[in-house]
This record gives sequence, structure tokens and C-alpha cells, in this order.
Amino acid sequence: MFAGPLEAPRLSFGEKLLALNWVFVLLISCLACVGAAALYSVAGGSFDPWAETHVIRYCLGLGLLFAVALTDIRVWVRLAYPVYFVALALLAAVPLIGVESGGAQRWLQFGHLSFQPAELMKVALVLALARYFEWLPAKYISNPLALILPVLMIVVPVGLVVIQPDLGTAVLFAAVGGGLLFLAGASWIYFVFGIVGVLGAVPFVWNLLHEYQQARVLTFIDPGQDPLGAGYHILQSKIALGSGGVTGKGYMQGTQSQLNFLPEKHTDFIFTMFAEEMGFIGSVSLLIVYLLVLLSIVYMAVRCQSQFARLVAAGVGITLFVYVFINVAMVMGLVPVVGVPLPLVSYGGTSMITLMFGFGLVLNAHVHRRTRLRRHEIGVL
Amino acid sequence: MAVPRNIKIRNRRFTRRALMLGTAQIGLFGVLGWRLRQLQVVESSKYSLLAEENRINIQLLAPRRGLIVDRFGEPVATNTDRMRVFVLPELTQNLVDSLDRLGDIIDVSPNVRARVLRLARRQSPYIPIVVDDTLSWQQFAQLNVMAPGLPGIRTDILSVREYHGGHHMAHIVGYVGAADREEVREAPVTRLPGFRVGKTGVEKGLEPKLRGKAGVVKLEVDAHGNAVRKLETLASEPGREVVLTIDAEVQKAAMERLKDERRAAAVGLDVRTGEVLVMASTPSFDPNDIVYGLKDGVWQSMADAEDDPLTNKAIRGQYPPGSTFKMVTALAGLEAGVITTKTRFHCYGGYSYSNAYFGCWKKRGHRATNVRKAIKESCDVFFYKVAERIGITKLSAMGHKLGLGETYEFGLPLQKPGVMPTPGWKRANLGKPWYGGETIIAGIGQGFVLTTPLQLAVMTARIATGRAVVPRIVRPDPDEQVAEAEPLDIKPEHLEIMRESMWAVVNEGGGTAGRSRLPIAGVEMAGKTGTSQVNSASSGRKSSSLKWHQRDHGLFVGYAPADNPRYAVAAIIEHGGSGSRAAAPVVRDIMTALMERDPVGKPGYVSRDAERKTAGGTARGGES
Repeated sequence: MFAGPLEAPRLSFGEKLLALNWVFVLLISCLACVGAAALYSVAGGSFDPWAETHVIRYCLGLGLLFAVALTDIRVWVRLAYPVYFVALALLAAVPLIGVESGGAQRWLQFGHLSFQPAELMKVALVLALARYFEWLPAKYISNPLALILPVLMIVVPVGLVVIQPDLGTAVLFAAVGGGLLFLAGASWIYFVFGIVGVLGAVPFVWNLLHEYQQARVLTFIDPGQDPLGAGYHILQSKIALGSGGVTGKGYMQGTQSQLNFLPEKHTDFIFTMFAEEMGFIGSVSLLIVYLLVLLSIVYMAVRCQSQFARLVAAGVGITLFVYVFINVAMVMGLVPVVGVPLPLVSYGGTSMITLMFGFGLVLNAHVHRRTRLRRHEIGVL
Repeated sequence: MAVPRNIKIRNRRFTRRALMLGTAQIGLFGVLGWRLRQLQVVESSKYSLLAEENRINIQLLAPRRGLIVDRFGEPVATNTDRMRVFVLPELTQNLVDSLDRLGDIIDVSPNVRARVLRLARRQSPYIPIVVDDTLSWQQFAQLNVMAPGLPGIRTDILSVREYHGGHHMAHIVGYVGAADREEVREAPVTRLPGFRVGKTGVEKGLEPKLRGKAGVVKLEVDAHGNAVRKLETLASEPGREVVLTIDAEVQKAAMERLKDERRAAAVGLDVRTGEVLVMASTPSFDPNDIVYGLKDGVWQSMADAEDDPLTNKAIRGQYPPGSTFKMVTALAGLEAGVITTKTRFHCYGGYSYSNAYFGCWKKRGHRATNVRKAIKESCDVFFYKVAERIGITKLSAMGHKLGLGETYEFGLPLQKPGVMPTPGWKRANLGKPWYGGETIIAGIGQGFVLTTPLQLAVMTARIATGRAVVPRIVRPDPDEQVAEAEPLDIKPEHLEIMRESMWAVVNEGGGTAGRSRLPIAGVEMAGKTGTSQVNSASSGRKSSSLKWHQRDHGLFVGYAPADNPRYAVAAIIEHGGSGSRAAAPVVRDIMTALMERDPVGKPGYVSRDAERKTAGGTARGGES
């Protein structure tokens, strides 16, 4: 489509800066500001302890984003598999040497640093799948043999996080993996079989779930059943959302959140607190900003020439979508309570790094949208 | 450079599928938006209500109980703040350590320590154990400041009723206690911890006035129930001060005078206003023992005690009035016209009526007796004959007219009405017909006739003034107009002959109470003795030869000064033997105390309550 002079192998730094999608940067900065404002309110009108750190982290994250975006795309192509294997190895190490906290074993400890391999895998999985389909000749895309490898690449990390157990991340991996297979062009038939297979597996998976996970699902189905136990959080969250009304209770005036009826309102339930104070208008506006970010990612992905670039961009987009959707649907009682933060708004360093890295890759794809990747430049692995 | 065909297909397929995915995302966001609209627009009012219920907690503020003072403002019942420190074993991991730290601030004796640890082992950790309830303000403040470093240690202020005058005022003032279920249902404020309501006496009778009105505070609470701020406060209205008509000084003297008697009661009134100046009942108790720190055993022993210290015999003791009832019989006879002041009946020492013989206390008889002599010398036969002629119905009607058989709504609950018998009463209560002989003995205040000391005092005041005086125990408010009692529907000359006769009882030779003249020069008392038979064994035998409980009750009613009545006093000494020997001296002494102090002649205390109408209330009795 756009084959032409911009096939130049290298872009100058200035060209790359100009090629960045600044509207996108503005949109995500907007989200981070909403996050900072909400965290200021959560702390009862104080930058300490969350809002200030949030802003600092975002600024550092922007640095990471630019660094990732301006690196030559071939570097990421070459790093894709190594990063994936490192992530896989670390993920496999979690059950052996991981640290347990809150009923789940998710963390690896390196001195004072603790680290969730699952976070790295979120990026690595996207890179590795994109890398694979970049390599796969287009004519083999629906060949069942050609799909064995990518399916394994998805299923193994899904299995590793399920045993941690981390249901939310497993769903995310599966959604991103499935989405990328779909976008890469695999035949519809696989997806029909896949969905049927997943539904058939539900009873088995149910038995594998831990009791607290089963409780979450049951609570989701009927939150009123146990209003002071597991259903309490969802009920209080719905009360907060509903009592916010159309225009909200006003900034820092949310009774449900300010009086601690809401759980974890600086992380997983921050949307509730925002919606309580800003009302229907505010919460829909926030959703629209997220939708704009998502659509701009789709737009950027579509414009990319190389399979790798567009799949990376689209994969990060799916990740973002799953995050936002699960989080918002959870606080509204549409899906079970799974510990998923609201991207860029919730407080939390790990998810911030992952997301900014991912957004960096999106912009990287955008910057290198016309770059053609050649076999000899990237090799097989 | 041509793009290979299958690459083109792949690119197109990507674009198509990416757009499908984008559309799906828009659609799913639409679902989120729809759900948000459902919650925040459609069902918003429902959730707003739930949010309000979540955050607002309404608490009642206990009003401060009104004070009770005597007619001169001497405190009778007041409120004391008792500052307490207690431990909640549930809130501390190491009780011994908490007690050690507490011991650095206040003195915790080894005994107390051992008791606390023993209780903590024995009972549920949620039950607070009081360590000390006599903290000073300084200690209390210090403990509150240090609270964070004292796990499981809590303080509170308990408003405790304190009674002054102990035993002397107990029966009048009564005492307070925790509300029972019925009271809680009527007034939710009584459910507050430490809230007390009147249980007997004035504390109960004037409960609405003393209690005041509960305040309300709307608190914003967080998810843990901690108060965050006050949204709205409606101050409580403290209870009103109650000024009693009692003179604590004379009351004390009367109680001291009765102390040596086993069971006795006396009531002294202002004859014109009916104000009760003295109301003594013995044995008594100390209400302070009951309101605070009473152990179960002590209460039981009080309630079961043979001489019934918890009962106010002045209003709840029902006794045959004996000869003190003879004025009723005489007035009934005079008013009915069956006798005149000159009518004479002959007393030969007894009277036969329908196969029965009714003796006069004087076996030799009084010979020719008119009404004046009959009262002065307490001739029984004269009144047998009068009673026979007028009948029981008119006799009891005169009793009611003079205040007997009645209860009075004046702030003292649990009064007994006594009995002014009629044939109808007997049929209703005993299911038997009335016999004429019962009228005969009713004529001298025996048989079914029962009265309380209060009623006898009212009767005396009514005879002395000729007005339908009613008793009162609370002083009128300064702006309250107290109407003088209505004149009795009795001919003045009939009342006059009664007064003259009663004067003669005390002051004329041959009167039954000649030994009980007042020791005050120029002041004469008028009165009437009464000796009421308790059982037939006592008839005709000397008291000293009988067991205590078989002896006759001794009664006396009197007023003074005889020429210008001011005070009326009635007394009963249970099983005291005779009215002239046991009761008349008691009345004489109480009357002397009243005359010498003359409480009615002195200006009384005026409550300052009216000035502080809008004083704010504070929460009491809760945790601080």
C-alpha cells in the first residue's frame, strides 16, 4: 500500500521524534493525570502517599516509553524470543522459589527488589507471537502445524499463572494470545473450536480453582447473598457508583470512598471512587478517553507495514482493553472480583512499567510503520 | 516492487480483523456505559439512600437528670461523675503488661490486680472489667492522653446518682435503676448504657420532670463505625430541678426519733397547703447502696428483711386507725343528725348488739357521755351507738370526705388506698354479705377499716382547717398559683366541736394524751390517740405480757397550735402498745421540732431552673 521511498532502513532521530504519535502521548498523559487527581482525593486531599509517587512514576514511565519507541524496531524483533524465554524461565521459577503473599505465589525476590515475572510475560508474549508471525510465511497461516508452536507459546504461560494462581493474568494471556492469532489471520474454524473447547473445559477448571477463587465467582453471581462477607466489596462499590448519580458528589466529597466503605480504593477500586465523585458524566468521559486510546492503537496498528509491528501494537491494545474492561466490569459487578488495576489510574509501579513499556512498543511500531523487515536483518530466531 | 499476493491477502485480513476487534471493543465499552447508566442514572436514588444509611449513625444523647432538693434548697439527690478506667481483655494481647503500664499512671493495688486477672480468666474477654472507678480529673485526662500506649485500657464517665441524707430521705426520694423492658419500649433513650430511671419514691413519681429530653446527634461514621464528624446536634434538655416540700432538718429529727422503734411511720403536713414537711418510715435504707455497687445478696436481704426496710410505711402501711377514726364517726353522726353536740349516751363498759358484746376499753364505763367527752376520753360505747345509728355507708362516706381511703397524685407512687368498707366493697372483695356488728366495730376504727399514716395526717389537717386539703410533696413553681383548698361540706360548728374535743384530749385533765403536751410555752396541741387491736389475744391484757407482734398498734394524730392550726402530724408505732404511751410522745416531739423550726414561716428555696432553660446537654454514660 505505502511501499515507496520510506522503505529506508534507518530513520534519523529527528524523523523518529516527528513520527511519534503525540496525540497518543497526550491521551495517556491525560489518564495519568486523572489517576493523580483521584489518588489525591483518596488520600483525603494529599499528595502523600500516592498521588506524588504516581506522577513521578509516570514521568519515569514516559522516559521508558520514549526509549522503547525510539529504539530501532529490529532490536525488538531480535530480542523477542530471548525475552520470552527469560520470562518463561522466571515464570517457571515462581512455584519453586517464589514468595507467597495473599494466598498466591506470584513474586520473585531479588534482594530488596520484588518482581512479578507475569508482568514481563505480558510484554514478552506479545513480542514473541508477533515475532513468530513475522517469520511465518503468509501461506501457512492457517496450517494447523504452523499453529502448534504459537498455541504452545500461549498455553504454557497461561498454565504457569493458573497454578500461581492468578486468574486475571491467565485470562489476559489467553485473550492477548487468542487475539493475536486472530489478527495474524488464522482461520475462523480454529476459534470456533477453541471457544467450544474452553466452554467444555469449564467444569474441569472449576475443580482446579482455589476455594477463594470459587467464592469470588459465586459472589459475583449473587453478591447480595453474603453482604458482609465476600459480597460486601461489590455491594459497597455499587452503592458508591449508584449514589454518585449523574453529576457525582463532587471532588473529594465521595462518602463511600472517603469513609472507607470501599476496599482498595487506591488500586483496584479507584474507578468506583472516581465515578462516585464525578458521577455518570465523569465516568463515561473517562471510558471515552480509554476508548480513544484503544482506537488510536487500532489505527496505528492498521497503518503498520510489517506483521511484527502491527501485531505488537495490536497485542498491547488488547492487553490494555482487557485491563480496562475487566477492572470496570468488576467494580460494577459484571464480572467476578479479580485483582486487575485500572491502567495508568490505579496506583502501582509494576503495572505502570509494564504498560509504559507496552505503549513504547506501540509507538515504536508507529514510528517504524513503513519499515520492512528483511529475513537477513533479523534471522530466524 | 510488487507485494506478493498472499502478503496482500494477509494485510487486508489484518486490517479487516483489526477493525472487527476495534468494533468489538466499542461494543463492549458500550456494555460498560449501559451498566454505568443503569447504576448511576436509573437506580441512583436507591443507591443514594443506601449510601446515606451507610454513613449516618444517629445517637441519642442522655439528658442530665434533674436535681432534687428540699424546701430550703438542701441537696437531696445530685449527680456525680464517676470517672472509671476498665480493661477489655479482648483488646490486648498481654493483659499483665497492660496492667503494668496502667500501674505506672494510677495506683493499682495487688488486690485489684489479682481480681482483674481472675475475672479475665473466668469471663468472656468482651466483658469490660472495672479497675478503678474513683479517678481524679487529672488521672482521667492523663489516661486519655496515654490511651494509644495502653492496649485494652478504656475510660468512661458514669453519671451516678448520689443521695444526701442517706437513710433519712430514702423513702421519699426513692432511688434510680436500670430501665426495664417496658420503660425501654416507651423511651429508647433509656437503653443507653448507664442510663437510670426512677424506681420508687419521688424519683419514680416525677420521672418525666426529672428525666428531661434526650438529645440527638447525627454522626458521620466510617466503614468501621468510627465517628468521623458531627453532622447535626440537637442538644438534650436536662431534667428539671425538683424542690420538695420536705424540710430535711425536721425529717432528720423525725427519723432519729423513730430510730428506736422497730416498725413505725409518721407524716407531718402544713395544714393549709397540704405540703408534706416530714414523712418518716422506719426501718429505712441507704439508696446509695442500691444505685451503685450493690451486691445481689445485699439487695435480697433488704427485700426479704422481716421489717421491710424498702417499704415506705407512711404511704404503703395500712393500719386499722383505731380511735383516731372516732372523729369520722362523730362527724358522720353529727352531719347525719343522729346525734347533736349535746346528745348523751350511757356507757356501762360495753354494748350488746345481736348476741355479741362489744366492750369499752374502760371496763367501769364512762357513764353519761356526750361527743366531746367521748373523744376526750375515747369512749368506745358512744361510737358503737353512733355507728349503729348512721350505718356503714354514711360512715365510710365521711371517711372519704376527710381524705381516708384515697390515694393522692402528688409525686409519690405506689400509695396504698387503705379501706373504707361498704357492703358493696365486702361483697366484691370477700364475697360475703355485710353484718351489722361490723358497722359497730368500724365505728371505732377497727374491723375492716384500714388507713395509711398519710391519710390520717390529711384527715387531721382537714379537721383542723375545715378545708379539703390535699397533700403535696413538690413545691409549686414560683409562677404557679396555688388555690386554697375548698371548704369541706361539713357544718363549721360540727368541726369546731371536734377541734375542741381534740384540744381536750391533750390539754384537759382526764384526756388520753395529757402526758404529751408540747414543751413550748403558749403553744397547745390538739390530737387524738388510737390503739388498734391487731389480734384478739391482746384484748384486755397488758402489752408487756404479750409478744411484740401480738401487741396493739399505737397511733396518734394531732395538730398545733390548737388555736391557729399550722401543722398536722400523724404517727403509728406498730405493736407499740397504746397510742397514748407509744405514739403521742412521737407526735409531740415531731410537732415540737416543727414548731421550733417553723419551716412554713420561712421563705423557701426558689429553683434557678427557669433561668437556664436553654442549657445545652452533653452525652453521659457512654465511652469517652
